[in-house]
Amino acid sequence: MARKRGRGMAACWYGIARTATVDRAAAWAEIDDGGSAKIVTGVTEIGEGILTVLAQIAAHEIGVKPEHVVIGDNDTARAPEAAHAGASRQTYMIGNVVALASREAKKRLVDVMADMWDVEADSIRTGNGEIWAENTNHRITMGEAVACAKNRGVVPIGSATFGTDTTGIKDGKGGDGSGRPWQAYVFGCQVAEVEVDTVTGEVQVLAVWAAHDVGRAVNPQGVEGQIEGGIVQAIGQGLMEDYQLKDGHTSTSGFAKYILPTSLDVPRVNSIIIEDPDPIGPLGVKGIGEPAMVPTIPAVMNAIYDAVGVRVFDLPATPEKILMAMREKARRETMASQAAE
Amino acid sequence: MVDIRLNATINGRKVSRDAKPHLRLLDFLRDDLNLTGNKEGCGAGECGTCSVFVDGVLMKSCLMPVAKAQGATVDTIESLAKSGELSVLQKAFHKAGASQCGYCIPGMVMAATAALRANPFADREEIKERLGGNICRCTGYQKIFDAVELARDVQNGRVPATALLETDTADGDVIGKSVRRIDAPSKVSGRLKYAGDMIMPGMLHVQVLRSPHAHARIVSIDTSAALAMDGVESVITAADVPGKDGFGVFVHDQPIMARDKVRYVGEAIAAVAAEDALTAKRAVAAIKVVYEQLAPVFDPDAAMRPGAPVVHDYAPDNITKHIPIRVGDVEAGFAASDLVIEESYSTQAIEHAYLEPEAGLAYVDHDDVVTVVSPSQNITHHRHMLARIIDRPISKVRFIMSPVGGGFGGKEDMIYQGMLALLAMKTMRPVRLVYTREESIISTAKRHPSRTTLRMGLMRDGRIRALAMRMVCDGGAYGLSTEGVMRKAAILAAGPYAIPNVQIDTFGIYTNNTPSGAFRSFGALQTQFATESQLDIAAERLGLDPFEIRRINAMRDGDMTHTKQKLGSVSLMRALDAAEQASGWESGAPAVRGPVRGDLGHDDVRPSVTLGTRFASSGAQEAAE
Ligand code: FES
Ligand code: FES
Repeated sequence: MARKRGRGMAACWYGIARTATVDRAAAWAEIDDGGSAKIVTGVTEIGEGILTVLAQIAAHEIGVKPEHVVIGDNDTARAPEAAHAGASRQTYMIGNVVALASREAKKRLVDVMADMWDVEADSIRTGNGEIWAENTNHRITMGEAVACAKNRGVVPIGSATFGTDTTGIKDGKGGDGSGRPWQAYVFGCQVAEVEVDTVTGEVQVLAVWAAHDVGRAVNPQGVEGQIEGGIVQAIGQGLMEDYQLKDGHTSTSGFAKYILPTSLDVPRVNSIIIEDPDPIGPLGVKGIGEPAMVPTIPAVMNAIYDAVGVRVFDLPATPEKILMAMREKARRETMASQAAE
Repeated sequence: MVDIRLNATINGRKVSRDAKPHLRLLDFLRDDLNLTGNKEGCGAGECGTCSVFVDGVLMKSCLMPVAKAQGATVDTIESLAKSGELSVLQKAFHKAGASQCGYCIPGMVMAATAALRANPFADREEIKERLGGNICRCTGYQKIFDAVELARDVQNGRVPATALLETDTADGDVIGKSVRRIDAPSKVSGRLKYAGDMIMPGMLHVQVLRSPHAHARIVSIDTSAALAMDGVESVITAADVPGKDGFGVFVHDQPIMARDKVRYVGEAIAAVAAEDALTAKRAVAAIKVVYEQLAPVFDPDAAMRPGAPVVHDYAPDNITKHIPIRVGDVEAGFAASDLVIEESYSTQAIEHAYLEPEAGLAYVDHDDVVTVVSPSQNITHHRHMLARIIDRPISKVRFIMSPVGGGFGGKEDMIYQGMLALLAMKTMRPVRLVYTREESIISTAKRHPSRTTLRMGLMRDGRIRALAMRMVCDGGAYGLSTEGVMRKAAILAAGPYAIPNVQIDTFGIYTNNTPSGAFRSFGALQTQFATESQLDIAAERLGLDPFEIRRINAMRDGDMTHTKQKLGSVSLMRALDAAEQASGWESGAPAVRGPVRGDLGHDDVRPSVTLGTRFASSGAQEAAE
C-alpha cells in the first residue's frame, strides 16, 4: 500500500484577552429613534465576525432585531477606547462591555415606561422590537417607547467599561512566573486523520474533529469559521509554509515560493462547540480565535506517526522530511534485523 | 510612451478611454475606472483576488496588459449585483458565513460563478478543484464550499430559495443563533473599501526605500536628486522625525525609518511622496545611501554567545526577553520519575499572508489633527506611540481602523503609519501608501521560529512528575511583540496538566533577520507543539491511550496553574470526551496503529485527492513519481 492512514490527537489550553496585564474596553449604547440601537466602541472587525456578534448581543440585551443595530467603531477620536483587535479578546472584552452598555440604555427606557404605565420596572420586558409590561395590556414598539422617553426629556443612552482582574507575572530576574495572567481560560482537543503517501512523502489531512470550549457561542457559525480557519492555518505551518532566509535575504517573497494551503489541501473539519460559561463576565462568553489552531499541528504529527511510524520534530513536515525519516527508519530496522540474525 | 485608446465593454457599459500602455487590466479597472471591488493580493497571478471575466472567461487581471482588453467584454465583481440585488451565489456566501475578512471574496465569488457556469452540477470535490487558484487565508475554505454547494442546489431547484434567507429569530433570542454576518453583503459584492481602495482629492502616493543589507551603519543619505524630480513633494528620513522616535508593542526599539544603522533586509530607510506612484518609485531609486557593513548575526543561539555582534546597544547580550516559570523542584522530580524523555523540536518562521497587503492614508484635518487611516489592529496603542514620535498631544492624533483584510497579529505593528503621518505633515496633503506583496513579506513580522528542548519525567501510571522546557526564539531585528510572545509561550508551555515540578525558560533573541512578532496563537503554538508531541511519545512507551494519558494529568476544577493561579471550572475533560466521541476514536496506545485501526474513513472524513490533480492545480511542485 502506497498510502497509509493514521490518526492522532492533541489537547490545548489558552488564556482569553490580554496576557499578564489589566485588559479593558468601553462602549456607548443608545436606543435610537424608530427603536433601533446604536453602539459605539473602539475596536471591532478584523474578519472574525465580531460586528455580527456585537449586533446580536446588543439586540438581545435591548430587545430589538440584530439588523436594527448600527455600529460605529474603530476611530480613536470618535469612539471610546476598546484597546486592540487580538489576543482572542473581542467577544470577551467588547462583547461583554457592549452588553453592559446596552443594559444601561435599556434601563433608562424601562424606567420611563414604568413611570408612564405605573408598573414596577422589573415587570417590563422587551424583545423583537417591542416593549411590554407583564400581566397588563401595555405593549408598544420600541420606536414608540423612544418617542415617549424623548417627550419626557430623556435620551435612552448607556455606557460601560469592562476590565479584567488580572496581574503581571513575576518574570524578572529570579522570578518564578507566578501571577494571574488571565481571568478566563479555555480548553480544547482535536483529532486528526491523515493519509501519508509513502512514495512521495506527501501528507493529506483528511479530517479534523475539533472540540473547543468557547464559554457561550453567540454565533455558532462564526465559531465554526474561526475553528476551520485556524486549523487550516495550522496545517499550513505544519506541512508546507516556510519563510526562508539566507544571510538575512528571503527567497520566499511571493506566493510562488511561499506555499499556502489551497482549497485542495484542507480537511473536512467537524467542530464540536463546548459551552462552559465564564462566571465573571455578564454574558458567559470566552473566545476561540487563537486556541483553535493550537492542537492541530501536534495532532497531525501524532497522526503521521500513527500512519507510518515516523515523527517530525522539525516543522514543516514536508514530503522530503517524511521520506527521509521513513528511509532512516527502514535503515535502522534492517540493521536491527541483521543484528538479530 | 503614448497612451492607448481603449474601447471595451465593462460591466455592460461601453468604455472609451485613454490608458497608459504599461498598465495591467487590474490597474485600469481599479485606478482609472475606480472599480475597486477586485483586489490586488499578489500582483503575480498566484492568489486570485483580481479575478474577472474577460469575454466570459475567468482571468487574473493582474497578469493581463490593458491593451489585451481592446474590444473585449470585461465583467468585474461589480457586475454581479449591479442593481443592488445580490446574485444567488453571493446570497449563498452571505448565508453560509463564507466571508471573513472579505479580501479574497470578490475573486472567490468570480471563480465560484465560473465554476457553476462550467458545471451547474459540480460536486464538492469538483468545486474544490475549480477554486484551486484562489487563496483564502481566513476561512479554511469549508464555508466557501458550503456556499457554492448551497447556490448550486438553489439554482438547480433542489433546495428552495428561502434557504438563503436569515435564520428565524422571531422567538426573540438571538444569542446562540447563526445570524448572517452583517458585513457580508458589502464583502461579497466588492463594495467594501479597504485602505488601498480609498482615494482622497489631491492625494499623493508614497513609496519606501528599503535596506538591501542585514546589518550596516548608515554613513550618509543623499535625497537631493530625488527631491529635485518633477512631481516629488517630499522625501523623509529619520532626521525628519520631530519627537522621540520608536515604536514596538513592548519596547519601543524600532524607529519609523532606520536611524544610524539598518538591522534587517527590507527595513525602511526613507519615504517619498509624489504625484503618482511611478514618480515616487523613480525618486526612491534616486536616493543615494552610503553604508558601512557591520558583522551580522543570523542565528539566535550564536547571538546569545559572548562576543556576538550586538543588534541593539541597550541589549548587549541580544536577549529581548527571558521568561522563567518555576514550580517545585524539577531535578528532584526527574530523579523520582520512572521514565524520563528528552527531545528537541523546532518550528519555522511563517508569514501571516493576509490577502490584503499593508496600505494606509494619512492627512492633517481642519483641526490640525494628524489622521491615519489603516488596517491597524491596535489603533489605541498606535496613537500613543505616534503622538510621541511626532511630538503632538494625543488629542491631535487620530487613528481610524479601515476594514482589515486579514490580520492574524501581523497588523498590530505600527510599521508604516509613522512614515505616512510625517509625510502628511510635511506636505499638508493626503498621502497614500500601498505595499506590494513582496514588500509586505520582506518587511513585516513573521511567526517566531523556535528551538525547544523538552524533558518530561513520568511515573509508570502515566502521571507527569516533572517537565523542563527551554525554548529559544529568533525575534529578528526589532522587539515588536517578542516579549509578550515569550510570556504567553511560557505560561502555557506545560499544557493544561497538573504537574508538581515545572521549569520553563523562553528566550526571545535579537538577530539581523526579519523581525518576528504577533501571530495568532502567540508562542503557545510553538511550546504546546512540543508538549503535545512528547505526551504521545510517553503514551507509547507506557502503553497508554493518548486520551488516557491526558486525562490522567488533566487539570481539574480548582487546580493551580503553573503560574500558581487557582482555576475555576476546567472544561478540558469535556473537550477530551467530545473529541473522542465525535471522532469515534478507537482506543489504544499510539504505537503505529494506523495499519490496523478500525476507526478510519468515516462519513465525516473527506476523500483523499489524487496526486496529479493536486500538483497540477497548485503549479508549485512537479508530480513526484
Ligand atoms: S492573482 Fe492577481 S493579484 Fe493575485
Ligand atoms: S476571507 Fe478569504 S482571505 Fe479573508
